Amino acid sequence: MADQVGAAPPSGAAQTAQTATARYKWPEKPTLLGTAVKRLDGPDKVTGRARYSYDINRPGMLYGRIVRSPHPHARVVSVDTSAAEKAPGVRAVLAWKEPGTQVMYQGDPVAAVAADTEERANDAARLVRVRYEQLPHLNSVEQAMAADAPAIFPGGNVRDGAKDETGALDDGFAKAAHVVEATYSTHVITHVCLETHGCVCEWDGDKLTAWISTQAVIQSAQQFAQGLKIPQANVHCITQYMGGGFGSKFGPDSQGLICAKLAQQAKAPVKLMLDRKEEHLDTGNRPSATAHIRAGVTSDGMLSAFDAQSWGTGGAGAPSGFPLPYIYNFPNRKRTHKDVFINAGQQRAMRAPGHPQGCFLTEILMDELADRVKMDPVEFRVKNLPPRAPNAMWADYFTMGAKRFGWDKRHPTGDQTVGPIKTGMGVSAHRWGGAGRGSQSHIDIMSDGSVVVKCGTQDIGTGTRTIVAIVAAETLGLPVGAVKVEIGDSVLPFSGGSGGSTTAASVTPAIRSTSVDALDALFAKVAPTLGAKPEDLVAAGGRIHVKGNTSKGVAWKDACKLIGTEPISVDGKWVEGLSGSGTSGVQFAEATVDVETGVVKVTRILAIQDCGLVVDKLTAEHQALGGVIAAVNFALFEDRLLDRVTGQMVNPNMEWYLLAGMSDVPKIDIVLNNMPERGVIGIGEPPTVSTASAIANAVRNATGATIRSLPLHPHKVLAAIEQEKAGGTL
Amino acid sequence: MSSKDDQGFSRRNFLKTAGLSGLAGAVTAAGVADADAQTGPRVLGPGDVPITLMVNGKRLDLKIEPRVTLLDAIRNRVDLTGNKRVCDRGACGACTMIVDGRTVYSCSTLAIEVQGKQIRTVDGLANGATLHPVQQAFCDVDALMCGFCTPGFVVATVALLEKHPNATPEQMRKGLDGNICRCGTFVRIMEAAVKAKGVLRG
Repeated sequence: MADQVGAAPPSGAAQTAQTATARYKWPEKPTLLGTAVKRLDGPDKVTGRARYSYDINRPGMLYGRIVRSPHPHARVVSVDTSAAEKAPGVRAVLAWKEPGTQVMYQGDPVAAVAADTEERANDAARLVRVRYEQLPHLNSVEQAMAADAPAIFPGGNVRDGAKDETGALDDGFAKAAHVVEATYSTHVITHVCLETHGCVCEWDGDKLTAWISTQAVIQSAQQFAQGLKIPQANVHCITQYMGGGFGSKFGPDSQGLICAKLAQQAKAPVKLMLDRKEEHLDTGNRPSATAHIRAGVTSDGMLSAFDAQSWGTGGAGAPSGFPLPYIYNFPNRKRTHKDVFINAGQQRAMRAPGHPQGCFLTEILMDELADRVKMDPVEFRVKNLPPRAPNAMWADYFTMGAKRFGWDKRHPTGDQTVGPIKTGMGVSAHRWGGAGRGSQSHIDIMSDGSVVVKCGTQDIGTGTRTIVAIVAAETLGLPVGAVKVEIGDSVLPFSGGSGGSTTAASVTPAIRSTSVDALDALFAKVAPTLGAKPEDLVAAGGRIHVKGNTSKGVAWKDACKLIGTEPISVDGKWVEGLSGSGTSGVQFAEATVDVETGVVKVTRILAIQDCGLVVDKLTAEHQALGGVIAAVNFALFEDRLLDRVTGQMVNPNMEWYLLAGMSDVPKIDIVLNNMPERGVIGIGEPPTVSTASAIANAVRNATGATIRSLPLHPHKVLAAIEQEKAGGTL
Repeated sequence: MSSKDDQGFSRRNFLKTAGLSGLAGAVTAAGVADADAQTGPRVLGPGDVPITLMVNGKRLDLKIEPRVTLLDAIRNRVDLTGNKRVCDRGACGACTMIVDGRTVYSCSTLAIEVQGKQIRTVDGLANGATLHPVQQAFCDVDALMCGFCTPGFVVATVALLEKHPNATPEQMRKGLDGNICRCGTFVRIMEAAVKAKGVLRG
């Protein structure tokens, strides 16, 4: 992926909120921004009233089901749908893959049916007879890279990726007093969105309405139009509530287009939500990452050289890039990367794409290097950081965190306590971008005092609906509940997809500028009645009054009576200077390891994170909590397992694809560093980057054994401990 | 069907066993019926059969195939969509309902099995506009993000606190171990459960 490889922090440009015109700049003494505001849609979600795409039931609605390839690689010889067509309740059948074409992974869609009940749709799908000619397949990176591997992908199974070289590698190694050489790796995980991908499609003549589970409601309309070859003007997408995406839901995909075609054929609305197995197989994953690294450190603990060959798989024809080395300043470095293709579902962006991998590969190495020079891991890291900057605050966080976490109680590598339960501490650092871009919005203020804010963004669980209301309410001097928010609909003013932690930084400046303009329009109407100039008015506490004279004012409702029948109706858009880019964070982990069973338990996490101006303390902190828990899963539990013979996924479910439950969740301490001067920056992704590395380093500190690959499953922990006893894991 | 149990069973483990034996039972019953319809158990299906469910205090008369689960009957036939289908095999708890006071995974419970029993779903917990104290606590401490696991967690918490009004944190964790959240709301859910316990005890 196109990420800066190396130690440089994200670009220093647009770091601060300098350029916002004075009238739009964030208030210096906010009443709502940065406070704990409860989620507006909480009551709808806790009562079950919130209707997700999965919950849309339309009159006369049918259920769609997709027939998928059970083989990782095969040629479709024939697709016989005759029996399915005659099955009870079936109203539409379509072949998606033509005979002669190839399926490239288990779960590749081949055909589809729609029937009047879900059970009958499942029955009919089973009656579709597909004949396959099985072809050689690649189940693993090792198979794909083998010299005698069958050539399966056009242009080769292995493709050269990013190359990077800085400084003089030989000089770097010449200066090194110690060199560590080892191979590090992370595994493939899937997104496991609780609401599976899918939609309900309904045609009215040549117009399509799709209630779709997506992170990009407007882009989904665009992709439906492209995929179905109809005007975008004829597509209406709705996403009021969305049950998790994590980077995997940016359009209709095959299931959306299939659903629309089934609905067209059946002349009835069709609901097509994937089942859990399909969700694992065909809706993306986090690619694997492996690097063979040779790294040198000088006798006084300065990193001097880094030489890495890396590779990874993003499945059938998709890339697997990640930043390497991560964060730390290796002045002399070289890295080459290869994308390896296997016959498995394609990767998609997954919460901080690339960063958890690059972070793990680097941070384990960092602890090994620190041990070589007999330095404390925190001290060693601080010594090798890029210069401190608003988007590079690691040194502060390491120091602050060490104190808060009780790092001084950390023992050297290998817990010498008697008994099978060993305890250790680890640490890790990360960064992310989170910049904003051009969102648009619209605000109506009505004569009865109602305020409606419209923006074509979507709330994917991050609290976007709530922060839109907070910004408008803050600007208009109203309580949050007085603002009606309309989002999640493709007919609304343009906003981008919710990915890359960009939503807060994109949407809030648009809402701010539009609200300020709308308020100015209202001031113009109110000023004459107060005998004041519009620029001397302020809106606060549900009133409009003269600056510095609260008694010379009028209640919001009375002010709005002056509007008349034509509402104040203002369009606005994202303006520069209200948002920033570049965040930094540091995390500490404490874990226990049962050296007899290999079971790792995470006991404590401290996450220190900045995200510029905090909009809603409650939801911002929750993003950090959620990111940490997601990474506990990455470190300890989840793992996409492919059968090494058949290439089929062994655990496409939720009982063998393991995820943390309540008892697996550690104590988590979140410290948000509020930096209002930097403007709004996204926080959805960064907190999930460091956790797994910090945990792995804690396990290393506990056991004295270095485990260089995730997940930290018991068998791997035990193997590493045995290897350590037998002569060392180096 | 299965209940939470605080004596060493996790609900998830217990359910797996119970669910499997339940399925086996159903298959056997159908086989026996085909072989000897006169003396075997009453044949139901394969077509639609009339069934009656008591959901949130209301009687619902439905015609469904015997294979339809409680979750699908309620979501697809009655349009009560509060409880969610996520894993569809009793692993994640999003479909958790309370049947005669015990939590069940409604995705792994046949609708015909629970006729004559009192079924409570997330849709029926609030009293008009007034939220159940558990629901209120979830909103107050932000114990939700995308909200898709939330109905299951809310129902599980209600059932837990009804059974154990003085639940210890350990009992709470065990009681909620049968539910999975992907956004990572666990910490706040524990806070909500503790807060709701306080409110419910007065």
